[in-house]
Amino acid sequence: MSGSEFLQWAATISLGLLTFAFLLTIIRILRGPTLPDRVLALDMLVSIGIAYIAVVAIKTDFSLYLDVAIALGLVGFLATVAFARYVQHRGLKRLDEAPSGKEAQK
Amino acid sequence: MNRAALASVLALIWASITGNFSLPNLILGGAISLLALWLVRKDVSSPHYFRKFRLAGSLTLLFFYELLLSASRVAILVLSPNLKEKLQPGIIAFPLTAKSDVEITLLANLITLTPGTLSVDVSPDKKKLYVHALSVPDKQALIDDIAKGFEAKIIEVFE
Amino acid sequence: MIYEIAAYIAGVFLLIGALFSVVAAIGIVRLPDLYTRMHSASKVGTMGAGLSFLAIATIAFDGPLILRAIVGFTFLILTAPVSAHLLARAACLAGYKPDNLTELNDFAKDQ
Repeated sequence: MSGSEFLQWAATISLGLLTFAFLLTIIRILRGPTLPDRVLALDMLVSIGIAYIAVVAIKTDFSLYLDVAIALGLVGFLATVAFARYVQHRGLKRLDEAPSGKEAQK
Repeated sequence: MNRAALASVLALIWASITGNFSLPNLILGGAISLLALWLVRKDVSSPHYFRKFRLAGSLTLLFFYELLLSASRVAILVLSPNLKEKLQPGIIAFPLTAKSDVEITLLANLITLTPGTLSVDVSPDKKKLYVHALSVPDKQALIDDIAKGFEAKIIEVFE
Repeated sequence: MIYEIAAYIAGVFLLIGALFSVVAAIGIVRLPDLYTRMHSASKVGTMGAGLSFLAIATIAFDGPLILRAIVGFTFLILTAPVSAHLLARAACLAGYKPDNLTELNDFAKDQ
């Protein structure tokens, strides 16, 4: 197998693995149970998205994708910072308190 | 002029002369410039700069090594079937020796990326750093580990 | 020759990065509480995205592109602990309790 063939093959496998990771993270977003958990999972989705774009950049050999990935990283970071502010100012909501025990029982 | 800056400029010149800006070629250029600078070191810069540069370099290397180590360790922990038994999470208060804001920031960031630890908050008087750890079998051992590893190195670089 | 070697190295980086991402996602689903999940997302997840940037840096034989890939990698590594720390701090201050497994909690003690 030549180098570029191996690279194409690796990129395809990586896309599959990243899709799997994406779906797993969505499970956490749906399950919650609290707001910070969802924020964390969204942050994780952004970093999986960055990895996705980087793999596509290699697969298509189109280098402009790299800038898209960097920009997404910036936006994702700012979004998480803003969400953290929101979590801190909102405080604890009554809805969030109960499910953490339920999660532990599973 | 700082030796590190000089070496990177020389590496860039090497890359443009050979007409190949690939990563391996840049590293090769950097290595050759460092070797050349080392050969003529008396005239170019003071040994003081070189020492600081080496310390900062070893800190960076330590950082990448610890990051790789911590990612693999958390990965192994996550994949182990008896996850609940292996976890022993706790939030500990780490007494800070580092004084300045830059040092504390750097330390907090480094702690987050080291095996099993995550910095949570700094106490208002800047004396304590709250650290969340995945498994704390021995609180004192963990504190000693951080104090002797990263904190000592950071203080050495910024002294 | 160097192109071939770089392609192989980049492929290995891509595969390892994708594996790290999958493990981080598994960790987010399996770990018991917010603070432990944060370990998984901030370290393992960052490694996943960072390694894909490194793969681009290895395969790109073009100065500015390599520089951008390395800048992106550095940026990712620098921001990940900051955002994790901010989120952990916000959750702690807002009063989200760690899981029952957590035995030691100096933060709650000092409040």
